[in-house]
Amino acid sequence: MGETSQATRGYFKRDTAGIRTEPVSFDVEAGRISFFCETIAEMGAIHHDDAAARAAGFPAIVAPPTFAMVVDTETGRAAERAGRASIPTLIGCNFARLLHGEERYDYHGLIFAGDRLSVSTEVVGFEDKKGGALEFAHMRTQITHQQRGVLVTITRSLVHRLT
Amino acid sequence: MTASLHAAQPGDALPGVDFGRISRTRLALYAGASGDHNQIHIDSDFAKKAGMPDVFAHGMLSMGVLARVVSDWAGVEKIVSLSARFLAITPVNARLVCGGQVTERLDLNGEPHLRIALSAEITTAEGQSAKTLAGEAVVRVARAA
Repeated sequence: MGETSQATRGYFKRDTAGIRTEPVSFDVEAGRISFFCETIAEMGAIHHDDAAARAAGFPAIVAPPTFAMVVDTETGRAAERAGRASIPTLIGCNFARLLHGEERYDYHGLIFAGDRLSVSTEVVGFEDKKGGALEFAHMRTQITHQQRGVLVTITRSLVHRLT
Repeated sequence: MTASLHAAQPGDALPGVDFGRISRTRLALYAGASGDHNQIHIDSDFAKKAGMPDVFAHGMLSMGVLARVVSDWAGVEKIVSLSARFLAITPVNARLVCGGQVTERLDLNGEPHLRIALSAEITTAEGQSAKTLAGEAVVRVARAA
């Protein structure tokens, strides 16, 4: 970390640093939580069965910790359908060279089936590492519920392999 | 035996999660469920054109499994933060095993919490092992009000 060099190449559109995307809304469906949980083999009843979630003291089926990324990717897709750029398009991701660097979630509240959420991402900035062999993009996303406030803050870095 | 959330001390291991072999089918289903349709994970023609030997797993699939180490033990409502650094690619058909260990008892805003170190390790179809994720979680010991 901290190793930097002058960028002579790269794909990220660095002039997007500081941009914040317009909020996009997302309706959390029970079936989507259940399907997502199945793919990570999370079979806990609170993620699949409304009655079990209520019996455990939750108001509805509960999203697992990394469901925040589903909310994020789907609102990106919704933005594209509405004719706006998703973050990967906006910052110039080249999927043939893209890797995930780091992912962090700070939780302020749980996400439940039936929630209508609002998502907005800020492009925090870019940096070069390993003598220009890698370039990093840093983003911060907030997932907000109108009554319950910010539920999750996502801090993410994406990386291009440049060699 | 793993200690309870209240009794856990630094050094205690959490029950691990053996996810088994990550098949192409798993990657296709995860792409659909997660919304991450990046072709590098599901289309071997695309992956080869990009200079990779084959498709490789979504890092977030492994992080989803990694999170289960914490949520299955402590409860999803107890997690204050969760993070992971992606250290290596997980080739298709590698076996994924995730684990965690309590590293610290700490007070945050006057409430007891635990810090947990997490790691994901793979064994490829060729028998090579690698650590693919290094993570950390902070969990609340008392039930949220």
